[in-house]
Amino acid sequence: MTGHLDDDAELYPLGVLDDVAARAVERHIASCRTCAERVTQAGLVAASLASTLPAAQPSPALARRLNDAVRPQTDDGARRPKSMFAGFALAAAFALASIGLGWRMLDLHSRLAADDLALVTLVHSHFNHVSMTPESANPVAAKVLYARDGSWVYIIADQPRGTLHVVTRTAAAGGDAGILVGSGRTATLLLRPVARIESLSLQRDGTDVASARLAYEGRR
Amino acid sequence: MDALVEDFAARRPSGLESAYALWSSAFISVARHALSDRALAEDCVHDALLRVWRAPNRFAGNRAMLKAYLVASVRNESLSMLRGQSRRDARELKAVRLMPESDNDPPAVDPVESERVRAALARLPEEQRAALELAYYGNKTHVQISQALGVPLGTIKSRIAMAMRKLQTELAVPEEARR
Repeated sequence: MTGHLDDDAELYPLGVLDDVAARAVERHIASCRTCAERVTQAGLVAASLASTLPAAQPSPALARRLNDAVRPQTDDGARRPKSMFAGFALAAAFALASIGLGWRMLDLHSRLAADDLALVTLVHSHFNHVSMTPESANPVAAKVLYARDGSWVYIIADQPRGTLHVVTRTAAAGGDAGILVGSGRTATLLLRPVARIESLSLQRDGTDVASARLAYEGRR
Repeated sequence: MDALVEDFAARRPSGLESAYALWSSAFISVARHALSDRALAEDCVHDALLRVWRAPNRFAGNRAMLKAYLVASVRNESLSMLRGQSRRDARELKAVRLMPESDNDPPAVDPVESERVRAALARLPEEQRAALELAYYGNKTHVQISQALGVPLGTIKSRIAMAMRKLQTELAVPEEARR
């Protein structure tokens, strides 16, 4: 294609073009920065139009499906039964509330699917928990729940500000394990480490704001 | 670069999870607008987000652009599903649903931004606004709009494109600056 796109650049983000025209736009903007910028700006307008639509909320199951799809298997390479893997975060959250930590932010009634209930008993008998130690002038209140065999670690922070990275250390290595994902007043992250995590910290802008050591009994 | 955008572009799971945590309401609202079936709408969001996340090299921009990109991806996916379903079932497309205005309608995804956008839409010339509303709120293709309004296809495309350019200008100016 020579020259630049016609009105199709503004129509593309609205989804009104037929497949042939839409593919032509995609091919063109792959090599034309001017038209790519036009499509981007039109896309921002289309996103603004979305703000006028009636609000809706996805079911908790959708978040779990996405999590299932993108989280790599890091233990023995074998995928656990889907419902069990997907239920760990919610089950751990339920356990956190039920042992009296007193945080009001867990809207468990809406978040806990019926098929997760059976996991609560399982999690209760297999996890430890520890409060994280504040490490800066602007700390974050956070807890860590973790399996007694070290196979999963669940970090939950109350009213976090900014992006919090979880940095883990094992006997052999350490590194950034991901960021806490916000949901209402809390942010959480579920890890499935290959090796036992001996300690972890939360970092904001590269500075530790909370840390914890994890204790285990016996060998994994 | 914004940590969220960086994580997303690097295909880190946290990038997708953070984007979903921030904008899931917008994603599902866009999908539900085209697909009345809740399960189908969630399949649409799931498929669209994963496809984009797995091809992150196609995205480069800031956080607002990422949101726009993802919302557009969900919308395109939902319209593809709607039109595919229509072809398979030989059914009519859903009845045109214009912008919700009734007091009985549920609140908008973003009430503040919604008011700003509605005001900007209201300032468009009538023929441009009608074409844009059929496109966005009516989920119609440009060909369908041309047929529905009895106006040549090229004219419809021009009206929609001009409406989009005007909205781009209008929405770039804070509402307070107009008063």
